[in-house]
Amino acid sequence: MLLEIHDPKAAPKPIGIDLGTTNSLVARVRDGRPVVIDDCGEPGIVPSAVWYGEADRVVVGREALRRATEEPTNVIVSVKRLMGRGADDPETARLGTYDFVAPSTPEEAKSVRFRVRGRILTPIEVSAEILRALRQLAQDELRSVGPAVITVPAYFDDAQRQATKDAARLADLTVLRLLNEPTAAALAYGLEKKENGLFVVYDLGGGTFDVTILNLADGVFEVKATGGDSQLGGDDMDRAVADVFLAEMGVVDASAAPASVVRLALDLARRAKHGLTDAETVDVELPLAGGAAKTFPLSRARFDELVRPLIDRTGSACRRAMRDAGVKPTEIDGVILVGGATRVPLVRSYVEGMFGKPPLADIDPDQVVALGAAVQADLLAGEGNPDDVLLLDVLPLSLGLVTMGGVVEKILPRNTTIPAGARQTFTTYAEGQTGFDLHVVQGERELEADCRSLARFTLRGIPPMPAGLARLDVTFRVDADGLLSVEAREATTGVAQTIEVQPSYGLTDEQVEAMLMAAIDHGEEDLAQRRLVEERVEAQRVLGATKKALAADVDLLAADERAAIERAMAALELAEAGEEPAIIHARIELLDDATKAWAGRRMDRAVARAIAGKQIADVEEGVATALGVDAHVEEHARRAGGH
Amino acid sequence: MSSPGRAPGAAVTGAPSDPFDILGLEPRFDLDPVEIGRRQLDLSKALHPDRFASAPAAERRMALGRTIEVNQAARALKDPVKRAEALARRRGLPVGETSEPRPSAALLMEMMEGREQLSEAAAAGDRARVEKLGASMRAREATVTVALAQAFAGEGARDAVLALLGELRYVRRFLDEVSAFEETFL
Repeated sequence: MLLEIHDPKAAPKPIGIDLGTTNSLVARVRDGRPVVIDDCGEPGIVPSAVWYGEADRVVVGREALRRATEEPTNVIVSVKRLMGRGADDPETARLGTYDFVAPSTPEEAKSVRFRVRGRILTPIEVSAEILRALRQLAQDELRSVGPAVITVPAYFDDAQRQATKDAARLADLTVLRLLNEPTAAALAYGLEKKENGLFVVYDLGGGTFDVTILNLADGVFEVKATGGDSQLGGDDMDRAVADVFLAEMGVVDASAAPASVVRLALDLARRAKHGLTDAETVDVELPLAGGAAKTFPLSRARFDELVRPLIDRTGSACRRAMRDAGVKPTEIDGVILVGGATRVPLVRSYVEGMFGKPPLADIDPDQVVALGAAVQADLLAGEGNPDDVLLLDVLPLSLGLVTMGGVVEKILPRNTTIPAGARQTFTTYAEGQTGFDLHVVQGERELEADCRSLARFTLRGIPPMPAGLARLDVTFRVDADGLLSVEAREATTGVAQTIEVQPSYGLTDEQVEAMLMAAIDHGEEDLAQRRLVEERVEAQRVLGATKKALAADVDLLAADERAAIERAMAALELAEAGEEPAIIHARIELLDDATKAWAGRRMDRAVARAIAGKQIADVEEGVATALGVDAHVEEHARRAGGH
Repeated sequence: MSSPGRAPGAAVTGAPSDPFDILGLEPRFDLDPVEIGRRQLDLSKALHPDRFASAPAAERRMALGRTIEVNQAARALKDPVKRAEALARRRGLPVGETSEPRPSAALLMEMMEGREQLSEAAAAGDRARVEKLGASMRAREATVTVALAQAFAGEGARDAVLALLGELRYVRRFLDEVSAFEETFL
């Protein structure tokens, strides 16, 4: 299925993907405006449901969701809630309608796994199916799918982000950027409305809640603070209502009820929730044992009472984010609503009460995230005008290192602007200690056990020294996707070790390669063809960027450097016209090398300009004036001399 | 093998090189945080990896590294303790809690008593009392900050600078505890 390869004649177009708990969408920019890509004329909202059939058949979307009531264990829904979670995570027990597989090795315990028709699946693989379906939708419209921006809840931790990136790789998508959902929404709003000011994005989705406070100033979207709860959403409202339905249906112990009954109750609850957006009361037909049924009227007041505790939980996250950002509710210029669950009237009145103004909802809250993602993809792929827009995001949760006694030392606090880095020095506790066990965690609590474990590694080979003499420098770096890498170095001996914090259950490159191969019907041949297309696209990109740079900053090159760059460009152009991906790749790297030193000088110049700002204009004006004076003086002298 | 211990002498190291130089800001203690933010933004516009999304890989890595440096420098300068440390380092003063002179016995006693009161109030869940202690400490922070700015402005007042820096550390630590307690009420 994955294999209508790119149409080699069509230019690959960047796409934006909202990979949601309940629904997923893919969007792109057409004639300067973001639009959601339709599914056969229907609005392209793809339910995030995956049905697994016999003989490796997989169906994604509406049809899969339709089969969920009949075959609850063959259909995976809300898989996003399990992304990046370990087998022992309490959340797995809460979503108990699946056939979870008990881990038999520590390696297996690192990810939730479930058995579906004899297959053992991870949430990453299920998400990849959804992404493949979206990719196909885009392919049908665009003919050739380029790189993607994929949105994640701002509050996703490193493991959840890494899992999302792995799913994209598995679906054969090139990820330009993981973008936080609220930032994407703000981007869609900000560009549409061209407004400046302080905004709150209140994003209550199917399974996650995010709140983000950001400042919009002439195209710069600067996130001040973000907060939320990655385990709170519309699903939980459904669950609260379903519990009432189950009780009415005579089910005493919901946890022991058959999966199909629970699924049915959840389904009825969701529909009742939708109905109560406009109606004051809905009548729900509840099936009883023995084929009978009864009508149960659910009023909005009763519904509000059931979901109020959930909505109250969003309030403390909002207050904390405002505190972190150092702003008061009265300073907020606008509140943007995102996510289907913000249609619930109680949510709207709650938000209005908290910020003292009615929220904005003029862009469809189901579409706004995908639209923003498409805009960002367009900008990053160099299609739009990047000079107009810049997104500055933050780290959602503190990153730290466990020290003696299981106490967490925070190295990068939450709400630090990313990309971010920090270095901290530690020492040995024991006499003659020859190594360090490093445990990297994420979270706000002080004890190791209360934080999310991201990675463990050991630094060895330190010569024995008295306690407290060794100097262990640990450097954390977080990139623009919010992903962490850690480097540790013993300063007195220079013993070093670097790790990318691949959350323990991240897939290795080899695993992804193998899975991709298995998914591809014609195996290696197609893979080679695809590589060629990819390398060509990359070659064109690099050549284009180099030409642009030459036009702007050629004066920063010595003659021999310029000649070397031009030679490398010519060699790459030649390779790009050929058929060998490996040669193209090698020559991209050669051009990379040839331009490296120059790139540093160009950045220095950009920095000097940014610091000088207006002053540079003043200086240039000054120079022009001085030249004018000189010319005048010269003229004068000439004339004088002529006398 | 064991977990690392916090190195008491090796205080938190900020940016690898001088944050004032990285941001191109005048090395003063009384810098306006708004000005720091503005400079950070201007430099981000020039260096952010998103600006280099289609550039060759080496250039993208370079942009990432330099943006990290800028953000790290801005974070250091916005924090009064780190800002003071950076300034002291520029003057060749010994920075770090084990190299600095020990705070006076009077200050230590005062802070110990203050923190005792704070933890009592926190344990009793006495929010008003915590807020009151926090407010008086914030007033003190303002006084120390003004004094530090003056000490830095007058060259050569080395002992005064280090004593005030030590005091500011204690004040900030106290306020961090107030903050952590206030957060439980959100």
